[in-house]
Amino acid sequence: MKVLIIEDEADLCDVIKSFLEGEKYMVEIANDYANGLAKLVNYDYDCVLLDIMLPGGTGMQLLTELRALGKDGSVIIISARDSVEDKVEGLELGADDYLAKPFHLAELLARIKTIIRRKNHHGEQAIQFKDIKLFPEERKVLVRTDELQLNRKEYDLLYYFMIRPEKLITKTSLAEAVWGDDADQSDNLDFIYSQIKNLRRKLKNYQAEVDFQAVYGVGYKMV
Amino acid sequence: MQVSLKNYTLRYLSIAFLMIITIWAALFYAFILEEVYDNVDDGLKNQKILILRAVYEDPQLLETDNYGINQFRITPVSEEDNFSEENQLNNEFFYMPYDDEMEPYRVLRTGFYAPDQKPYHLEIRTSTVEEDDLILNLTTALIVLYLVLVLGVYLINELVLRRAWRPFNIILENLNLYRFGKKDDLKALSTNIVEFNQLNKEIHRMWRRNEEVFDEQKRFIENAAHELQTPLAITINKLEMLMEDELLSESQLTQLAASKSSLTRLVNLNKALLMLSRIENKQYKDVDRIGLNQLVKEISEDYKDFLSFKDITLQVEEHAVFDVSMNKDLALVLISNLFRNALRYNIRGGIISIRIRKNQLSLANTGDQIPLEQKKIFSRFHKGTQDSQSTGLGLAIVKSIVDTYPELSIDYRFEENWHIFSLEKS
Repeated sequence: MKVLIIEDEADLCDVIKSFLEGEKYMVEIANDYANGLAKLVNYDYDCVLLDIMLPGGTGMQLLTELRALGKDGSVIIISARDSVEDKVEGLELGADDYLAKPFHLAELLARIKTIIRRKNHHGEQAIQFKDIKLFPEERKVLVRTDELQLNRKEYDLLYYFMIRPEKLITKTSLAEAVWGDDADQSDNLDFIYSQIKNLRRKLKNYQAEVDFQAVYGVGYKMV
Repeated sequence: MQVSLKNYTLRYLSIAFLMIITIWAALFYAFILEEVYDNVDDGLKNQKILILRAVYEDPQLLETDNYGINQFRITPVSEEDNFSEENQLNNEFFYMPYDDEMEPYRVLRTGFYAPDQKPYHLEIRTSTVEEDDLILNLTTALIVLYLVLVLGVYLINELVLRRAWRPFNIILENLNLYRFGKKDDLKALSTNIVEFNQLNKEIHRMWRRNEEVFDEQKRFIENAAHELQTPLAITINKLEMLMEDELLSESQLTQLAASKSSLTRLVNLNKALLMLSRIENKQYKDVDRIGLNQLVKEISEDYKDFLSFKDITLQVEEHAVFDVSMNKDLALVLISNLFRNALRYNIRGGIISIRIRKNQLSLANTGDQIPLEQKKIFSRFHKGTQDSQSTGLGLAIVKSIVDTYPELSIDYRFEENWHIFSLEKS
């Protein structure tokens, strides 16, 4: 999977690049409009992370150019401006998603996976880890062949673990993922704890091979 | 007590008129009397000379000891009378058959030596002004004058001042109608009165200045919030990368998580400030017909898991349909902020009770049994309890949204251990 990051903040590019490379993506970087356009014209990418404010032009212009070229790579706008107008404009110009800075890397990964999966209709739709299969389109989870009944929040949590198995996911990331804004509340962290407990109990009932491991009270890992 | 400018001047003018007329009346009266007596006295003195001459020519006149048609009398001076040739002038009352009552007369008394060398008293009288009648007539005339003056001033006030102050009233009305950055409803002012034109100009200038300062401040907040997002993004993401390291010790990892959590809080604060700034910038322009009943249902559905986690019972009573014209996103933020507030400050096993009536939505929750400070809860960064996790902006955003729509209002009350927020449409 090839990802292009068009973003003028070198530090941010670097950190996203090393994260995505850790997730087995091939990552290229463009730091300005001209560079970004050149890369978009010459190569094909599965996913483009596009900042709006760029030296030499705007991400919106690039988006228009990209669609004019007839390329169908997915685009996620990453911008510090998260006003409704920007979102609407970006999505109308054909972006697949809009992620406001700052974001959790886990959230970025979830979005990338979602849109790549949506584009790849032929590919494997389910995400699998050990004996668990998750079908994002149907919001369905199978343990081997039995369907696991989950409530919405439990499903959202499990989805987060499924896309990054065996990696630490912090409680704040989890809280924000299932809660959205205003996530950083002690109540919510307790809530996450109880949801994980429920999830673990349900998985155990189905004798699933996976379990959640608490990491020093910081977060959890699915193993 | 407040009075209108017209009546204010009228009050002082009436008092001033009354005083001026009273003083003027007293002086006028004194002058008139002075003049009248002077004239009468001159006449009497003249008469005295004529009588004395006549007496010298015709001593028979000395026997005129009664006021007859001559209006004088002469009486011989007896021993005990004091005799003086000085003129003495007095006011006296005599019976007047015409009026059938006592009438004031001016009387001149003097003494003289007749040709027979004997002293005589001479008294000459003449009818004079009736002072009480004069006072009465003068007073009546002046009261009429006073009333006419006051009425005149009142009418002039009503007609002239009302016309003259009309531009001022327009300015007042405009001040009343003025909403920040909205000048469409204002009436145009056309007057040739310099002061009012100046006042109007200055008010517009003041508005413009205020708006500029306000806009600049809002732009600043928005830009500052934006500029903060990128470094925050880098820092948070680098921390996340760092935390992937399997070799970290527990304390290192915990500290990293704490740093990340603090940064996340900063991000949320930033977002809330941006939201406030946008609401106040009127960036949420699209208006739809929003059914709050449906919205409440959707939001309670979203928080279902959390409600059961905190063991909170949700009661929703729908007595009517509450529709409101507002921005969809703002409506969502408004109701969910209220809902979250009711949730966050609730107690385990508590209740959230939502009642929807026509044009009224009330959201009551159990919680601490202490009323919140009504005046402060909607202000920014006011935190009821020392809650380090709250941004202190949730209710400020609610207030800000409600203030965007003039027909909406929100208030808080504490009743029988319920914290009640009530949203109303007028």
